[in-house]
Amino acid sequence: MKYRWLLSVVLLFGCSVRVQAQENVPILSGGAGFFGAAQGGVHFYQPVLAPVLTVPLGEKWLVESRADLREFISRENGTSGPYQGKFFGTLEYLQLDYLANSHVTITAGRFLTPFGIFNERLSAIWIDKFQDPPVIAGIGTGRGYSDGFMLRGPLVATPGYQLNYAVYFSTLSTVNKFESQRGTGGRIGIFLPRTRLELGASYRRTLQGGGENFQGVDLSWAPYAAPVEIKSEWAHSDGGHGYWIQASYRLSHLTGRDSGLGRLEPVIRMQQFFRSKPVPDDFLPTGNLQRPEFGLNYYFPHEIRLNGSYARQYFSNTTDSNVWEFGITYRFLFPLWPGGSK
Amino acid sequence: MTWRRPLLTTVLCVLALSPFAFSRQARPKADNAQMRTQGAKQNASEGEKRFRTNCGRCHNAPEEISPREARAVVRQMRVRAMLSAEDEKLILQYLAP
Repeated sequence: MKYRWLLSVVLLFGCSVRVQAQENVPILSGGAGFFGAAQGGVHFYQPVLAPVLTVPLGEKWLVESRADLREFISRENGTSGPYQGKFFGTLEYLQLDYLANSHVTITAGRFLTPFGIFNERLSAIWIDKFQDPPVIAGIGTGRGYSDGFMLRGPLVATPGYQLNYAVYFSTLSTVNKFESQRGTGGRIGIFLPRTRLELGASYRRTLQGGGENFQGVDLSWAPYAAPVEIKSEWAHSDGGHGYWIQASYRLSHLTGRDSGLGRLEPVIRMQQFFRSKPVPDDFLPTGNLQRPEFGLNYYFPHEIRLNGSYARQYFSNTTDSNVWEFGITYRFLFPLWPGGSK
Repeated sequence: MTWRRPLLTTVLCVLALSPFAFSRQARPKADNAQMRTQGAKQNASEGEKRFRTNCGRCHNAPEEISPREARAVVRQMRVRAMLSAEDEKLILQYLAP
């Protein structure tokens, strides 16, 4: 009799887990791509896979993770010799989120450092409109991620404006593949939904070595009236300061978003970096740099995108060079276990 | 014999009034269903607006997303894009009506 009772409990638990599982289906999404570039006679190619795992747990919890797996293929001696490949695997984030309330989300684990807008929002290969990140992307973010905890969310959310914030503390880690710097910082932004204009300010202080301060300001504007996006960042560190500004314009208003011409998106970006003093391992150019860029993105059906770009790089430490890049990305998304469409 | 007539009258009255009674019950039900549909449409429309406002400024909408997948995607976007709980609810209603 007691076994029957136990069996009932097990069956009931199984049913409840199944019901919850149907509501909270883990998904595997992300992007796959193949990139090629030519700069000053040197050619290199990169097949990339960036899977994103998302596991919602109940109503308040979320586990999410993204990795970047790529092979860097180039000639042995730069411009001559056989091609050889080197594999790079990076765990960009693996975090547990607790949605405490509408204003606070508590995050623990490895997360993308909230500094500016590029690192958190635009760095995914299926979002970034250029193949290369901005040259100042290393300011305030270092490797791009932090290990520790973070509080974030919308502080105030009204129809007229939203004030959002992110503050974090990162611990020092020297474990192979899990390195991170000890530091603290955050970002605060004001977003105007009616005009889709956002202004943000970021700060970071490293709490190891001599301690270094980083400051940044960002702007993002996507007017409703036209398919235009303008994004920009300025950032400052002890080693130097710089900016990038990018504008893209999808030709969807001419013949429709799904037409042949409407899938085309020209994009331009200008960036400059000014070196103040040499700082080892700061992920920044060793000298002053200017880089105007022009690119074209073409959005095929089924989440496939082709892109190509040309840049002229003026670098104070070496001769100027042309940079040609092309790439194809595919964005995928599917549930981790099979089921109906509902 | 004396109790049969009031009983018969009562039964006839009840039968006579029943169509009104049912119709009066049915009408609010129809109104509620209509209101719910209108409410869902309004929420979906508001959800589309919130999607364009918050998500659409960084990336395109996924071409295909099933209701099973939408919950995880929107939960992740709530954290990443710092959406409010209301935004999450409305965008989810838009993506998974």
